Amino acid sequence: MTAAMNTSVEHSSLLPAVAHGDLAAFEQLYDRHASTLYALLLRILANPDDAQEVLQETFVKAWTNAKMFDSVRGSDVAWLISIARSRGIDRLRSRKIRGDREDEAGREVSSSFGFVEKRTGADDAIQSEERQAVRGALAELPDSQRITLALAYFEGLSQSEIAEKLGEPLGTIKTRMQLGMKKLRERLKAYR
Amino acid sequence: MMTHEQLESIAALDAIGAASADEATAFRAHLASCADCRRAREEYEQAVSLLAQDLDPVDPPAQVRDRIFMAIDGRDQTGSADDDNVVDANDRFGISRWWMVAAVLFLALWGWRELSIRVSRERINTREAEIRRLAGENQLLTARNEKLSAEMAALAAQDTRTIALTGQQVSPSASAKVFLEPGQRRAVVFFYNLPTNPSDKSYQLWILRGDQPKPQSAGVFDVIQGGGASISIENLPLATEIKGLAVTLEAKGGVAQPTNTNFFVAGST
Repeated sequence: MTAAMNTSVEHSSLLPAVAHGDLAAFEQLYDRHASTLYALLLRILANPDDAQEVLQETFVKAWTNAKMFDSVRGSDVAWLISIARSRGIDRLRSRKIRGDREDEAGREVSSSFGFVEKRTGADDAIQSEERQAVRGALAELPDSQRITLALAYFEGLSQSEIAEKLGEPLGTIKTRMQLGMKKLRERLKAYR
Repeated sequence: MMTHEQLESIAALDAIGAASADEATAFRAHLASCADCRRAREEYEQAVSLLAQDLDPVDPPAQVRDRIFMAIDGRDQTGSADDDNVVDANDRFGISRWWMVAAVLFLALWGWRELSIRVSRERINTREAEIRRLAGENQLLTARNEKLSAEMAALAAQDTRTIALTGQQVSPSASAKVFLEPGQRRAVVFFYNLPTNPSDKSYQLWILRGDQPKPQSAGVFDVIQGGGASISIENLPLATEIKGLAVTLEAKGGVAQPTNTNFFVAGST
């Protein structure tokens, strides 16, 4: 089987079948994307228990809300990431309000989006190929833009909070963020 | 007021959740009317998901999978919109929900309109029936008033003469008074103590004329109860031609000539 054929299979949407109560499709959806979502939630929350809870909430929500998914407007994984990221940031903010974030003091700004842990299970060749393509797109971003986007995306910081954290003018942060997002959007179009 | 370009640039910030509250509010309001910005927002949201896909995958513990499948067991896929974090899902659900709400409102308003029309029609029909009933009553009252007015005029006229009719063999206790107004050639006759007539019969008043051999009918009347009745007579013959008056019981509605000589009351002028 060629990589192109596999990629085609990989990109076929499972959510329409899930919307019809197809448990096998839901299992496949979980197997396909759980590790990506869990990595994202670990990156955001830096706490395995919280990440697992939010991961569970994400998939339960995907099951109940699958009918709302529109495959024309995006992929399964982007939709799931949107749910997981929103819930993860909400959990993070509620923890910040409680002041009990474990690693808040020691967290460092990183120019890398990658999480330190590696996937423990087998990573199939197709996903690796896709990931390499994504990394290629992200590697084209200057560090300043990548850091700014990372702070907004993984930590849910506002423009002014990022400006304060980095000691940069607000306008500079906004420009960096917009430029970085435009490049990602262009790369996404090319990637598709 | 932001330009379209300014708003479109906010799409990127909104997709990553970094737009300020004012920017987000203005942008969301703009989205409703701008397909280009909606598409840009969707593409930015897709693009920003690349940040997550760049992470090295980490397998969650097996028990998470078990908990998820236990949690969804028997759970309805109603697509409830209680998760306000799911921006895309909520946007889509928001649209369909508003369509559903609009449809329900339309049906409710249509049903209410139909019900209102039906109720209004019933009210109109009821009022029209009431108007017809009142018009009938008014006609009766008008006729009664005209009759009373004629009777009063006959009674009050200066030249009114009174003729007494007395009970005859078949009803000796009966009597009648005729108030004759010769100038107007009209009269009012009041009857007392007449027996109630059978339903297929009517009393008929006859004028016995001096200039004609046959009696002339002056009208028919019924006595329902109490023995009383009255009758107004117009276009009487000249007073000099009236020899007397008499009442017989005839077929319902009256006859051309009396069929018997069993007078109930009678009298001469």
